[in-house]
Amino acid sequence: MRVFTDSRIEKAERELLAADKPRISVGLATCGISVGGDRVFEEFKRLIEEKGYDVSLKKTGCIGFCKEEPLVNVKLPGKAILVLHRVTPEDVPEILQKVESGDDSFNKVLFQIDVWDHKTVPPISYGQPYEGIKRWQEIDFFKYQEKLVLRNAGIIDPESIEEYLAVGGYRALAKALNMSPEEVIEEVKISGLRGRGGAGFPTGLKWEFTRKEKSDKKYVICNADEGDPGAYMNRNEMESDPHSLIEGMIIGAYAVGADEGIIYVRAEYPLAVERLQRAVEEAREWGFLGKNILGSDFSFDIKIVKGAGAFVCGEETALIASIEGRIGRPRPRPPFPAQRGLWGKPTNINNVETWMNIPLIILKGGEWFKQFGSESNSGTKVFSLVGKVNNVGLVEVELGTPLSRIVFDIGKGAPGGKKIKAVQTGGPSGGCIPEWLFDTPVDYVNLAKLGSIMGSGGIVVMDEDTCMVDTARYFLDFTVDESCGKCVPCREGLKRMLDILDDITKGRGKKEDISLLKELASTVKVTSLCGLGQTAPNPVITTLKYFEDEYIEHVVRKRCPAKVCVELIEYEIDEEACTGCGMCARRCPVSAITGEIGKSFSIDKDKCIKCGTCLDVCKFNAVKKVSRGLEDG
Amino acid sequence: MGRRVKVTIDGKVFSAEEGESLLAVALRNGIDIPHLCYEECLEPYGSCRLCIVEVVEGFKKGITTSCTLGCVDGLKVLTNTPEIEKHRKVLFELYLAQAPNSEKLKKLAEKFGVYSTRFKEKNLKNDPLNGKCVMCGLCVRVCNDVLGVGAINFIGRGYRATVNVPYFEESDVCKGCKACVEVCPVDAIDYSDVGDKRVMISWSNTKVDLIKCSVCGRYFSPLPVFGSVSKKLSEYGVVCDVCPDCRKRLIAKNMTSSGGYNSYA
Amino acid sequence: MDFKVVDEIIDKYKDPSGRILGILEDIQDTYNYLPKEVMVYVSKKLNVPLSSLYSVATFYSFFNLEPVGEHLISVCMGTACHVKGAPELLESLKHLLGIDVNEVTDDGKFVLTTTDRKFSLSSARCFGCCSMAPVIRIDDRIYGYVKIKDLPAILKEYGWKEK
Repeated sequence: MRVFTDSRIEKAERELLAADKPRISVGLATCGISVGGDRVFEEFKRLIEEKGYDVSLKKTGCIGFCKEEPLVNVKLPGKAILVLHRVTPEDVPEILQKVESGDDSFNKVLFQIDVWDHKTVPPISYGQPYEGIKRWQEIDFFKYQEKLVLRNAGIIDPESIEEYLAVGGYRALAKALNMSPEEVIEEVKISGLRGRGGAGFPTGLKWEFTRKEKSDKKYVICNADEGDPGAYMNRNEMESDPHSLIEGMIIGAYAVGADEGIIYVRAEYPLAVERLQRAVEEAREWGFLGKNILGSDFSFDIKIVKGAGAFVCGEETALIASIEGRIGRPRPRPPFPAQRGLWGKPTNINNVETWMNIPLIILKGGEWFKQFGSESNSGTKVFSLVGKVNNVGLVEVELGTPLSRIVFDIGKGAPGGKKIKAVQTGGPSGGCIPEWLFDTPVDYVNLAKLGSIMGSGGIVVMDEDTCMVDTARYFLDFTVDESCGKCVPCREGLKRMLDILDDITKGRGKKEDISLLKELASTVKVTSLCGLGQTAPNPVITTLKYFEDEYIEHVVRKRCPAKVCVELIEYEIDEEACTGCGMCARRCPVSAITGEIGKSFSIDKDKCIKCGTCLDVCKFNAVKKVSRGLEDG
Repeated sequence: MGRRVKVTIDGKVFSAEEGESLLAVALRNGIDIPHLCYEECLEPYGSCRLCIVEVVEGFKKGITTSCTLGCVDGLKVLTNTPEIEKHRKVLFELYLAQAPNSEKLKKLAEKFGVYSTRFKEKNLKNDPLNGKCVMCGLCVRVCNDVLGVGAINFIGRGYRATVNVPYFEESDVCKGCKACVEVCPVDAIDYSDVGDKRVMISWSNTKVDLIKCSVCGRYFSPLPVFGSVSKKLSEYGVVCDVCPDCRKRLIAKNMTSSGGYNSYA
Repeated sequence: MDFKVVDEIIDKYKDPSGRILGILEDIQDTYNYLPKEVMVYVSKKLNVPLSSLYSVATFYSFFNLEPVGEHLISVCMGTACHVKGAPELLESLKHLLGIDVNEVTDDGKFVLTTTDRKFSLSSARCFGCCSMAPVIRIDDRIYGYVKIKDLPAILKEYGWKEK
């Protein structure tokens, strides 16, 4: 079965299966680390060394169930993987004792994995399932998911090329090198794969453009400048399974005829950079990168370039300018990067997730890939499901899955039983989709019909406490800040739109502002130079389309129905509920709260800066936000 | 020369070179399309967006900028549809609010029927360009891409972006050639020749020495520009520390007296 | 100023792709900002106009032209963090740190530093930890699910003292 025979791979395989000794792996993507996963890992390491336990301790990426992190996989020889959730350093001694003594009655078990399909090899049986513990597919969060891109995330050690090889890694590359470049491109075309960066351009076609250009030098680039605020799938993909990305790029380079690859990754992702760097070095050591790859006459290498904080560099021509050491100002296309790209040479740019689909398509075939997804939207998409939703996390579903499935079946609705109002897909370039349209299948075509876009795959859930005008203002604030400043509609037009939204959220809006906003939105959309400006009005256009009543409330009655817009609300203490503990008064940064301990407290509205501290610290729900609008007038 | 193709602008057929900018073809044939960032000596840049046209037959239909639109055979565009006028009006209004002090901009806007703006004037405190710059980028591109001097560049991004010398401090690379002044479509860049110095007022008062005419004593050319040119010419025995006016006079005099061409070329 | 470190950084970047950004990033790692004399030095050494380096330094939000405090606190302003109360966190941090200004510097970058230069406060565009929203980052550590009431305890880890 194995293409590569090597004792190191056999060892990795035995380790993955915990054939010789128990294996503990801690979910250490940035998300896991930020809630203490690193401390858990350190504690395991310390105790294992101190007590001399015969346990192999590994890192792993993120399986996507971010809400339950830190996650720890515990695997005893011959048994299924147990996934423990919300593990703290204090849990570590007990876990280790049980592992050591073979006692499998662990606390905090969330689910088990007995069989896992890495797709690149036949499903691997990890061990005997435990009784009375749910299998991962039985958990609602995973039930509706189809893991193609995240096929290895949260299972293998992302810092070990051997483990990647043990689950079928680089087999697609070996296969591709035995095909002609044209055959590789044909397979990608058959698969129907569309660019996962946002616009959804057919990948095979894009490759063909670059292939057909005659040039002494060509480049492939991985666009890992995931700048959409609220989307983090690319970060996780790189941190959890960097070799899938690298393998995809090597295959792509072979297909288009490039000998140099660049991964342009944003500076805000230091861990991704570190893991990619390591993975590139490993791949080089193993002969998957460098001269005469796997004995063929194809040579290719990859370098990593860190961005420096500019959302616009997700745009292809700006990204190229940035790599060349210039400011990220997009230029008009044509010429497309396929014709004139990096340093003037033909260049093929794809997003992280696009590249990660490639090994699967080559290994299993384009027809196989097409079984997933819907008509002309084949495959899956990883979404970062965040905001006011219970099960936040990374969700990979087939394209065409209805939003309601993602938000309600997988996401389990909003916390606190609140009513969900809308989702924003596609970040600042996308639009909001109201709850009454949640039966819409999520794919490139249908989202566009609603005025939104797929974008990179962010889904931010908004509940009744979210103000849609504030949301539009938020996105505009973002794009105004991130506009490169080259063309006037984006540079000046967006700022004018933001000014109007500022006025509206502060109670200074006028009725004619709404029509001016619409007019500006249309001009910015039609006349901007690049995708950033052309899509930046979408959040405004869609909120106006679906929630114009909220705008009118702000403008006419100077009220914010969701009680978000600071200038339109006040904080009050409910005397009935107040126990007089005085916590709010102690923590108020401007000493606006006075009262008597044991009795009740009140807020001086002139002093109050509406920072929300009192609301946050009150244990008795006595602090309330109230509208100060023109209720009676 | 590339292949000749036929393009149709507002129903009239014109001959053009394949790939050349449609805006160039239109301007050459007297079709007035407003533009700020287009300059023949530079590659189309597409930043001012005023030259939008509607493609009705071509590679990609819809509204696009004509400066960046390459001519292909059979290309058909309209320059004055109601939709274009609508968007162009908004763009002009944005410019008028951004650069309220540029008379040249006002005239251009008026020519296309826009006399006022619905937007508040941009907050222009401490603007070295006095509320005249439209950020077309021509000065930056001429200074960097044509002359290779690189004295000025864009600073910052988005609506806060501006053009100036680094750190807003007197430049030691500016040659005072004032190509930036010449190319500016809205007269935003100020300079002044005072005595033996040229002061680039807009560029943080960068000062450059001027050279004196050996005949009339007038200061006429910035030394850094002149220096390199005169050095080259002196290798051919050409004397050129003479201002253009005096040079003409000297040439005329020499021609009448000796009847020949002389070293005052 | 000793430019040996700068020479070493420049020597590390031979390939033109990503060279300028890489050099500036490493310089900022070394000095915690981009000192002007280093920028002038790099400009001469690479034969790149200073205007163009300055343009890059002011375009990308990662670069600081002024020194920042000992600890850099960034409040994530990503969408998920925004809907989960990041603006309130930022306000609260301003008060806790005694930074009571609400303006940005000339180049539009928002970094506020305490008078004792112990802390700098800035906002950031998404660390990709949206599932833990709201999040803040102090130096290299990311804190998830941050509540206003947790802030004093977090700040104390970095030597902050309650007034």
